[in-house]
Amino acid sequence: MKFSIKWIVTLLLTAFSIYMIFALNPVGQLRILFNVLTFAGIYGLAAIGLNVHFGLTGLLNFGHASFMGVGAYVTLLLIPHAVGREGQINETGLPFLLALVIGVVSASLFGLLLGLPAIRLRGDYLAIVTIAAAEIFRILVIDLESITGGVYGIINYSDSLQQYRPNFIEIFVSKYNLNAGQIWIGFLSWISIFFVLLLLKRLNSSPWGRALRAVREDEDAVRALGKNAVWLKLQSFMLGAGIAGLSGVLLAFNYGSLQVTLFVPLLTFYIWAIMILGGVGSLSGPIFGSVIFWVIISETDRLASLIFENANGQQLAGVRFLLVGLLIMILMIFRPSGLLGKKEELLLNVK
Amino acid sequence: MSNSLMRVDNLKKSFGGVKAVDIDNLVFNKNELTSIIGPNGAGKTTLFDLISGFQEEDSGEIFYKDKNITKSQPYKIARLGMVRTFQLTKVFDRMTVLENLMFAGSDISNDSLFHSLLQFSKQKNYENSLEEEALRVMRDLNIEQMSNSYARELSGGQKKLLELGRSIIRKPDVLLLDEPLAGVNPKLSEELLEIIEKLSNDGITILMVEHNIDAVMKISERVIVLAEGSVIADGLPQEVRENEKVIEAYLGGSDD
Repeated sequence: MKFSIKWIVTLLLTAFSIYMIFALNPVGQLRILFNVLTFAGIYGLAAIGLNVHFGLTGLLNFGHASFMGVGAYVTLLLIPHAVGREGQINETGLPFLLALVIGVVSASLFGLLLGLPAIRLRGDYLAIVTIAAAEIFRILVIDLESITGGVYGIINYSDSLQQYRPNFIEIFVSKYNLNAGQIWIGFLSWISIFFVLLLLKRLNSSPWGRALRAVREDEDAVRALGKNAVWLKLQSFMLGAGIAGLSGVLLAFNYGSLQVTLFVPLLTFYIWAIMILGGVGSLSGPIFGSVIFWVIISETDRLASLIFENANGQQLAGVRFLLVGLLIMILMIFRPSGLLGKKEELLLNVK
Repeated sequence: MSNSLMRVDNLKKSFGGVKAVDIDNLVFNKNELTSIIGPNGAGKTTLFDLISGFQEEDSGEIFYKDKNITKSQPYKIARLGMVRTFQLTKVFDRMTVLENLMFAGSDISNDSLFHSLLQFSKQKNYENSLEEEALRVMRDLNIEQMSNSYARELSGGQKKLLELGRSIIRKPDVLLLDEPLAGVNPKLSEELLEIIEKLSNDGITILMVEHNIDAVMKISERVIVLAEGSVIADGLPQEVRENEKVIEAYLGGSDD
C-alpha cells in the first residue's frame, strides 16, 4: 500500500467525518457512531461487490439491490423465521452458516441466470436489463406472499445469528450502553470486508484479474486472442453478485425484520454513490467512501437543522438529498476518479 | 492442393442491398505471405471479419486445416492458431504494455479463476516464464523501454507494434493483419515490414490487408485484388500490377 497524498486525504476525510458525529451530537455519540459504522460496513461490502462488476470488468450493473435481496431472502427462508401478515411461524430450519452459504451461492446463481442472456449486451443495454431484473425480483417477492411474506416481510429470524454473539461484545456493550445485536452485525460485516478484500487483492493481481481488465478495455481484442470474454464476464458477475448476497444477509440481520421495500432502486444508487466516492477500480476505496457517505446520510439532518432553524423533519430530509447530490457533483468536477481511484484508470470518462 | 491451409467456398455477405463479400472459391496456402488489396469498400475487412468469426456470413463455408470453422466463435477460431489485428488498433488502454503482452500470451488454464485461487506456485512459475517471453517480444519490436507505460500513452505506431507483439506472443500459425501500416511514419513502416517479412520466414502464414502498394508489392508472395466483394485478380505481385482490370479498378494511372 503506497502511502501517497490521496491516502492521507482519504484518511483525513474519514477521520473528519467521524469527528463530525461527535461535534454535531450532544448525546449518544457512540451509539450513532456504531450505527453509522455498521451500515457503512454492510453497504461498503456491497460496493466492493459492485466494484468487481464495474471497476474490474466494466459491467454496468444497476440491479445490485436484487443480488442483495436474493442473498437475504434465501438465507432467511432457510433458517427459523416467521412470515407474512399472520406471522406464520416456521421453527425448523438449517443451521445459520449452511443457510448463509446457500444464500450467497443463490445470489451468485441469480447473477448467472441474469447474465446468461444479458451479458453479451454492451454497456448501457446491460444496465437496462439489470434495472428491469431487479424490479422483477422485487415484484416477485411481493406476489409470492405465501413464501416470502410479500409486503409484510419476514420477522423473528435474528436468533439464528445472534446466538453466536461472543462474550466480548456483551462486555463492550454493557460499558457504553449500546445495542449488542447491531454491534455484532457490524463486527461481522467488517470481518467480511477484511476477508473479501484479501481475496480480491489476490485475484486482482492474478492472471484472472488481468483478464477481467482486458475485457473491460476491449472485448473484441480479447476474443481475437483466443479468450472467452463472455465466460470471464459471467464469472465476474457471479463473484460480485455473491459478495452482494452476503451484504444483503447482513443488512437483513441489522434491521431485524425484512421488508421488500429495502431493495428498491435507491439502494442500488446508494451503492453506486459509495463506489464512485471511494474510487472506481480501487479495491479498498468503497470502505472509506461508505463511512463518509453514511456520516453524510446520518448527520445532514442535524447539520441542516443548524442552518435552517425552523425546518420540519420532511424539509430536512429534502436537504439531505440535496447535500448528497451536491457532494457527488463536486466530486465529479474536482475528483472524478474518487478518493482512491487512479487517474490513469479513470472509468467515468464520458465520450 | 496439398499445401492449402485455408479454403473459402461460395462465401457471401451483404449489408442491406450492398454486396460486401461474394467469393466463389479462394485457397490460402501454408507459409505464404498474401496481401489483399482493393478500393475502399471492396470487402477486405469484411472478409477478415468472416474468416475470424467476428461477423456471420449469409452463406458459404470456411475451412481451416480441413476443419469447418463457419459460424465458429472468434475465440475458438483464435485458439486454432489464427490471430488477427484490427484496422483501428485495439490495445488494452489502461493496462501496461507488459500486461498487454502477458495477457495475450497467457494460456487458458493460467487465466482461470481456479488457478488464480488454488495453484499459486505453479502459476507463479508460469508467469515468470511468460514475463521473459514478453520481454523478448518487446526487445524484438524495440518497445522494451515502454514496458511499464500504459498502452494508451503509446504513439499510434507503437500501438501497432504492441498489437503485433500481442499476436506474435501467441505463436500463431496464421496472422491476419488489417492495415498494419496505416498511419505509421515511413521509418516505422520499414521496420514493421521487416518484422512481417521475418515472421513469414519463421513459418507463419500471413494475410495482410494494406493500402500501401509499394510495401505490398515489395514483400508479398501473392496479391489478391478485391473489388465490390469479388476477386478480380490473384497472382504474383508483378502480374497483378500489370493487370488491366486492377489498374482500372484500383491502381489507376497516377499514384494516389
